[in-house]
Amino acid sequence: MTPTTTTPRPTRPGGVTPRLAYRSGAAGRGVVWALATAVPLLFLAVFFAYPVAAIVGRGFAPDGALDLTAFGEVFGRPRTWRIIGLTVAQATVATAFAVVLGLPGAYLLYRCDFPGRTALRAFVVVPFVLPTVVVGVAFRSVLAPHGPLGFLGWDGTFAAVVAALVFFNYAVVVRTVGGFWASLDPRAEQAARSLGAPPWRAFVSVTLPALTPAIASAAAIVFLFCATAFGVVLVLGGTGYGTVETEIWVQTTQFLDLPAAAVLSVVQLAVVALALVAAGRARDRRERALQLRPAETTTAQRLALRGPGRRNGDVLALAVTAAVGLVLLALPLGTVLVRSFRTRDGWGLGNYVALGTTGGPNALSVTVWEAALTSLRVAVDATLLAVVMGGLVALVVSRRPRSRTGRRAVRTLDAVVMLPLGVSAVTVGFGFLVALQRPFGIDLDLRDSLVLIPVAQAVVAIPLVVRTVLPVLRAVDTRLHEAAAVLGAAPGQVLRLVDWPLAARSLGLAVGLAFAVSLGEFGATAFLARPDQPTLPVVIFRLIGRPGADNLGMALAASVVLALLTATVMLLTERLRAGGRTAATGEF
Amino acid sequence: MAGVSAAPSGRGLEVRDVVVLYRDDDGTTKAAVDGLDLDVAPGEVVALLGPSGSGKSSLLRAVAGLEPVARGTITWDGGDLAGVPVHQRGIGLMFQDGQLFPHRDVAANVAFGLQMQRVPRAERARRVGELLELVGLGGFGDRDVASLSGGERQRVALARSLAPRPRLLLLDEPLSALDRALRERLADDVRAALRATGTTALFVTHDHDEAFAVADRIAVMDAGRLLQVDPPARLWHRPASRRVAAFLGYEAFVRADSPAGRALRGGSGAGRGAGDQGSGRDGQDHDGHDHDSQDHDGPAERLLALGPGSLVLAGEPGGHGATLTGTVLQSGFRRGVVELVVEVPDVGQVTVVEPSAGVQLDAPAPGSTVALRAQPDAIAVVG
Repeated sequence: MTPTTTTPRPTRPGGVTPRLAYRSGAAGRGVVWALATAVPLLFLAVFFAYPVAAIVGRGFAPDGALDLTAFGEVFGRPRTWRIIGLTVAQATVATAFAVVLGLPGAYLLYRCDFPGRTALRAFVVVPFVLPTVVVGVAFRSVLAPHGPLGFLGWDGTFAAVVAALVFFNYAVVVRTVGGFWASLDPRAEQAARSLGAPPWRAFVSVTLPALTPAIASAAAIVFLFCATAFGVVLVLGGTGYGTVETEIWVQTTQFLDLPAAAVLSVVQLAVVALALVAAGRARDRRERALQLRPAETTTAQRLALRGPGRRNGDVLALAVTAAVGLVLLALPLGTVLVRSFRTRDGWGLGNYVALGTTGGPNALSVTVWEAALTSLRVAVDATLLAVVMGGLVALVVSRRPRSRTGRRAVRTLDAVVMLPLGVSAVTVGFGFLVALQRPFGIDLDLRDSLVLIPVAQAVVAIPLVVRTVLPVLRAVDTRLHEAAAVLGAAPGQVLRLVDWPLAARSLGLAVGLAFAVSLGEFGATAFLARPDQPTLPVVIFRLIGRPGADNLGMALAASVVLALLTATVMLLTERLRAGGRTAATGEF
Repeated sequence: MAGVSAAPSGRGLEVRDVVVLYRDDDGTTKAAVDGLDLDVAPGEVVALLGPSGSGKSSLLRAVAGLEPVARGTITWDGGDLAGVPVHQRGIGLMFQDGQLFPHRDVAANVAFGLQMQRVPRAERARRVGELLELVGLGGFGDRDVASLSGGERQRVALARSLAPRPRLLLLDEPLSALDRALRERLADDVRAALRATGTTALFVTHDHDEAFAVADRIAVMDAGRLLQVDPPARLWHRPASRRVAAFLGYEAFVRADSPAGRALRGGSGAGRGAGDQGSGRDGQDHDGHDHDSQDHDGPAERLLALGPGSLVLAGEPGGHGATLTGTVLQSGFRRGVVELVVEVPDVGQVTVVEPSAGVQLDAPAPGSTVALRAQPDAIAVVG
């Protein structure tokens, strides 16, 4: 025995007192969890479920009684069928291209190691968070008759819309598939190679099947985003071109045909529900596949483009990704930037100077800078709302209750908060318009207040926040909580000292994402923005709708400002992610 | 204050008739722990030995408060632990894979429990240094836990568990994720650390060597129940049942009153309760477990259990001291010894271990007949 290092144990309370303390502690914790669940649910009930229900009510029972004449009337129009067909075709084709082009990018950026990889990964994400209006303007300036690719004659066509949608969603495929690919055990492929399979064969028969859950998951999400695209279609689609999404807007704001808009919203809800179910299935499979793998087994391999060790696959991946990066990503952005400096009297800063004005006659009611300030103010509120609500949801959903009812409740909540991800922003905006005129019969018109815009944007951003924070919280091993508890940490301390430090970075990322989404949000905002207090995307949209080179120049300059704002926010948060000790694996 | 650990007063851990249920994926419940009794005296190290799935970890988690107890009581020093939340039990738990906090460095990991007890900073730092020294990681304080090897992680986990001075430390297969050589070395270090801090401990393992190396007493568990609880030497030489003996590695069983049994016992009272060689090496310092005072001469119906080492080669058949003959079934070379699997008539298959004689190894080939001699001290009496 070595008595020198021996120290007496502290006497601890045992028996009766802690039991009482425990009882009250457990009750207190129950109240806290109930609140953490109830607050976001109530928020979504009032600002999401209620407006959507109001729309559905309008569609099925415009005058209180079930009345399907509006359905019959809307579906009797050939225009409706053309629009539904276009919506599905556009989403299908864009999804196919995004997957095919995104796979080589995922391989290059997540399986290979080369200088500048981190910067390239950040660059690829920029399009995803760019405001839809900016992307619309960018593609228009590339494809316009005098643009760099004007000879294609794509201006105002289906091809233009598809190209812009691929531009947007390329990052979704690269990140979702790449993140999965990075942690895929390479030894299965190596085993296939050692059994005599040539590289392409090993890829097709081993790697590709293993990637399927991630690809399916990415494809479902991309399809959803494409089917609900609004700003891009509105800006890029020529006259007569439209999707369900833009049609809702047209029917509401131009034809003032609210019943038709409500019917179309119901159609959109059905499309989205289908895509969401598919996405959820795929996500479950992917998360299961993730659990089966040992963590951190792989290291990226160096690119092999020349010499005896050359891999043809690497060359192909590099070529495809370079082409996508240059033509699809860099060219539109570059064109906007260059064109924004071209004025009627040659090159100069004239367009930027004009941002301090209200544009040409009858163009705007405020200056672009004022609109930018409104955007920032709204984004701060929306981000705060989205991060608090989404953070609470992620926290609750990440728990693993012992009781079966508890587990079922957690699963339900998880599914419920994902709904707004699919339900289009336009539906949300239109729903606010319909429902919050006299909310719950209370004589209070919320539509005139600026409050609704951040609320609508928060509803759109909450699913993204949840999807960013939840995987990180879920990845925290339950036994880590147990380890803290047996060391004497009370439940609150476990949250503060274990979960919080591990998830804080992903929450930072969520803040950035929510802020960027809010800055560029157009679908819901287009319905809710007041004429005297428009946001930046609304101003840009108004400018390109007005004739005149000056207005277009201003729109381009404003787009550059908006893109820079968004990109700055994302780059800041990307740094947060890169510097993390624990990888934030948020995917969309 | 110092040096009080040898025999702390109090009654320690008492587990009475405890049932812990386990819910399968299909919703059916099974008893992982099925009406089990166990005592751990203050200052004592008890190993819970059993095959995987025998309910060892469930029992441990129930004691820690991480698993609900369906029936029975768990008390510490007479006080019922039911309803005392995990963090107020003062019971430590060391996980199989360490579960170090990835966002804290080594020192901050070890300091966690002290922080929970609001130990002042200076005192905390002193104690962390002391514990890292104790587990052989002095100077590792500011290392990132991701940079540690598997063995180092477990050392940190041990230091972290010991830091808040738990009244009872539970260790859940703490070494099973490590490779064999490291496991053996670390088992001795764990023992030394538990001794040095006078920690009362319940140590779960499925590895016999680990249990024998670490524990004052070993509890053999199977299918949710305890089969035997005894000090290592007694467990080894007097397994309570054939099942325990088989689990410990005994291969062949012979009735003591059969001709073969008498031959094995020879005239020397083989298979006697077999003294305390084994427990002497760690200087057993508490004497509450003196089971071995009376001499069992082995009632006739008792079984003799033979394992590796119970029989040795005895030169030529019929040679001096040879009592048995057998046919070699397999012969192999392992780490400096020759291992023969020999079929002995009326006894069964027994592994015979001989030190390897040299380079010109001439081990008996399979099929050849060998003469064998019993090693009475290496034959256990069951029951």
